[in-house]
Amino acid sequence: MNPADSDLILLDGGMGTMLQAAGLPLGGMPEVWNVTHPEEVQKIHRAYVSAGSRVIYANTFGANRFKAAGSGCSVSELVSAGVRCARAAAAPGCRVALDIGPLGQLLEPLGTLSFEEAYAAFAEMLTAGAGAGADLVVFETMSDLQEVRAGVLAAKETTSLPVWVTMTFEATGRTFLGTTVPAMALTLTGLGVDALGFNCSLGPGELLPLVRELRQWTALPLIFKPNAGLPDPATGAYAMTPEAFREAALQALPLGVRMLGGCCGSTPDFIRALRDGLPQGIQGMDLLEARNGLCSARQVAEDGHLRIIGERINPTGKKRLQQALREGDLDYVLSLAAQQQEAGAELLDVNVGLPGLDEKAAMVRTVQALQGATDLPLQIDSSDPEVIEAALRIYCGKALVNSVNGTRESLERILPLCRKYGAAVVGLCLDENGIPESWQGRVEIARRIVDAAEALGIPRQDLYIDCLTLTVSAQQEQARETLQALMAVRRLGVHTLLGVSNISFGMPERENITVSFLTQALMAGLECPIVNPGQPAIRKAIAAFQVLSGQDPGGEKYIRLCSEFPAPQQTAQAAAPAAAFDANALEKAMLQGQGGEVARLIRAALETSSEMEIIDGQLIPALNRVGAAYEKQQIFLPQLLRAAQAASQGFELLKERLSAGAGAGLSRGKILLATVRGDIHDIGKNIVRVVLENYGYTVLDLGRDVPPGKIVETVLSENIPLVGLSALMTTTLPSMAETIRALREAGADCKIMVGGAVLTPEYAAEIGADYYARDAKASADIAGEVLG
Amino acid sequence: MEGRLTEISLKEALRYLGVRDAPDPQLAAAMEKCSALLRSRARPRITWRQFSLGEDLRLEGTSFFLPGQDIRRHLSCCLRVILLAATLGMETELLLRQTQSRSMADAVLLDALASAAVENVTDNLCRDLAAEFAPLHLTPRYSPGYGDFPLEAQREVCELLNVHRLLGVSLTAGGLMIPQKTVTALAGLTGDPPEKSPRPRCEACPLAGGCSYRKEDRTCESC
Repeated sequence: MNPADSDLILLDGGMGTMLQAAGLPLGGMPEVWNVTHPEEVQKIHRAYVSAGSRVIYANTFGANRFKAAGSGCSVSELVSAGVRCARAAAAPGCRVALDIGPLGQLLEPLGTLSFEEAYAAFAEMLTAGAGAGADLVVFETMSDLQEVRAGVLAAKETTSLPVWVTMTFEATGRTFLGTTVPAMALTLTGLGVDALGFNCSLGPGELLPLVRELRQWTALPLIFKPNAGLPDPATGAYAMTPEAFREAALQALPLGVRMLGGCCGSTPDFIRALRDGLPQGIQGMDLLEARNGLCSARQVAEDGHLRIIGERINPTGKKRLQQALREGDLDYVLSLAAQQQEAGAELLDVNVGLPGLDEKAAMVRTVQALQGATDLPLQIDSSDPEVIEAALRIYCGKALVNSVNGTRESLERILPLCRKYGAAVVGLCLDENGIPESWQGRVEIARRIVDAAEALGIPRQDLYIDCLTLTVSAQQEQARETLQALMAVRRLGVHTLLGVSNISFGMPERENITVSFLTQALMAGLECPIVNPGQPAIRKAIAAFQVLSGQDPGGEKYIRLCSEFPAPQQTAQAAAPAAAFDANALEKAMLQGQGGEVARLIRAALETSSEMEIIDGQLIPALNRVGAAYEKQQIFLPQLLRAAQAASQGFELLKERLSAGAGAGLSRGKILLATVRGDIHDIGKNIVRVVLENYGYTVLDLGRDVPPGKIVETVLSENIPLVGLSALMTTTLPSMAETIRALREAGADCKIMVGGAVLTPEYAAEIGADYYARDAKASADIAGEVLG
Repeated sequence: MEGRLTEISLKEALRYLGVRDAPDPQLAAAMEKCSALLRSRARPRITWRQFSLGEDLRLEGTSFFLPGQDIRRHLSCCLRVILLAATLGMETELLLRQTQSRSMADAVLLDALASAAVENVTDNLCRDLAAEFAPLHLTPRYSPGYGDFPLEAQREVCELLNVHRLLGVSLTAGGLMIPQKTVTALAGLTGDPPEKSPRPRCEACPLAGGCSYRKEDRTCESC
């Protein structure tokens, strides 16, 4: 449907307040009335139809399995009865929408509901609604973009009905969960919804600026269903008159709104007022230049400027990351993300392909963890379509898929996935015959990729062509071909992307070559360099280019960068003899939280001692002394953690050296940690993890709200000798007891320590734990006793 | 009435962290930095609703009976009760989680400061309500989980306050609130001035069992 020439569709108004006026008690479940008071529900629908509504929303907003539990009715009963009530009231030409609101539970990673559980709950409603004869589906009052994604995918995969979405925003332009208007528009337009807009939130006047913003980011018809102003907190009543509502709401029409109605506080009078006040024929809307980009749920990397893609989450040639991925150590991956973000990356490449590793599971885990820890949009980097699809399914936002190439197989298998999930995609200029030596050959492949994408409905604004960098020491003339190809590909109206680091492979002082090539590539039209932004030379080269090309007004960014990373002073480098290693200095640096100093001292110690000698002879004893000070209450938790964090920089240095060598990594044994089912308070458990890791133990952290079965399974399959369970609430203690029982019944040969605010040594003994861990230090002592 | 964060008590936060001495200069500086960060991110939101108390502590117009003996004592001689909720919002939840993956040392400080901050927002709300309803008196606030007022009542309280739609607060399947830095409570309205020292007793505290202050024969407020 083209919004410019479609008719205006009048929707209905509030349902909840109408039901309460008809006698529904406060806190009662409105959907139950579909079954118990169908005539009352129909009466409300009829009032809207006679006021002019051409789409009426069935009374099914909260009829999901979580809210229906305990109502005495099944989801299918509530939904079918709701659609039937609306159907019975609908005049000819009037359509019935299956209305779906939030599930009421928050999805992972901030909440505990899994994407699949949300999907199943929506699918259940959708199947019932479609079966009962709904004409379309509306998801409304949504504030979690990931929840909407689960719903839209369920709608597309279980019905053939049109799908509309409206979300609820605050005046700040964000939802409660922080989703911005552009992120909503890019993500849901990409997923293929039929119309998009706002409901509830605020009054029509307050929402107009958001409608204007939305218009810039999507060409879809817009839906506008605001509240009747703002509620009086004491009475809950909405103050706006139907006429005032109309006056404000009609201003949305020139912005492309084609579906118009009301939400909280609006009644049939409001719809009637809208109908009576509609202008004769709708004015053409102000078509704005469409903006585009890539996004996470909370952040957009908009087209049209130089965007750095951080390359470091890729295990190829990186022993430390390989080890972390094999051990499931997501913290290390997250630290790479944080470092790159701080260094100026706007997107992060995510590649977890490693021989012998379940790439699909690792990719899903990594993407989930990254979504909780960073707002940067992600580039999903894999050659396996199954891995790509699994990642796209749970990725909340508009991702960049890396990559397709010019082979038929790649185009046929991967492009449809990008289309379905609304992702942008990288096209590599190579095919069955390899990488063409001439720039013309590469442009030819780029054209083929553009054609294949457009045939599927993927616009060229969503294509990122990679002209490929070859090693200049092996094929010297290829550097020029890559640059030529870049210039030509730009003219196709696509984006360009290029990994630059391997240009200099095999050359001395690689950085010179890399930086020079990068600058030339930027000049040739490269928009998205894939680099390690943590290398100051690279960052500075990019910043310098931005100054010279006028993208950094006044050179402000460049100047800031140079003050953050001053050029190294040559004299200082030559001087500064390695200070003699000093155990007291190490302890002091730890206590003061000086991680850099800890690393420096350890580097110095490595000149005379082995890694293990330093760990056993210096680091651990220093940590023990810090721990003893904590026990004596000379220092407290914040200082303990500060010391642990500083020590971790030393450990990290040693780990890198050990994993780079052939020798085994360092671990004093495995410990499983989990916050038990039902509990979401995990900061205590995470404190324990940091401290245990610093004592050299490998911690398998299963997270929070972990069911007993998963703990038992992991303990058995990983042969875990020590399990730490945490619970903060009295209500979740039974769940801890159940977990211990399950471990014992399964015959797990492990010791169990428990901790958490409400636990006592007596209760720990009562539920069969081996140890009560008063605090993080105590858990390290227990680990020492059990594992040595 | 709006959510107001006016002060983040360092003293409170240090108490949550178990720090009993004056903080060393480095810790004080780190607390200051985290406090400023929290202030810049937190978006306090509040809501409340007034109910008449019916027979057997039923909230009039609903089918919800306030459960437990302690609440009965707490609301004796109140004819009306106010349900209230205050949250620092998902912005704070995100900040706490994202900080955990960057620096656990900063994360614990932020967590303690955020606890102090949501207490402040809730106190401010109660002060505003007391002013709104003067000359009636507002009893001290009382939350699910205090005494024998069960945590399970959280679901009902959240439902009646419509916190999901109005504040963006969700409940997990187990009845815990997200954002975690959220407080729900009720407070009675009475014509009689409340008795002196209306602090909730230790016996009513859900943490009384493992409380390290009680073991030393002290109470947390005396710190």
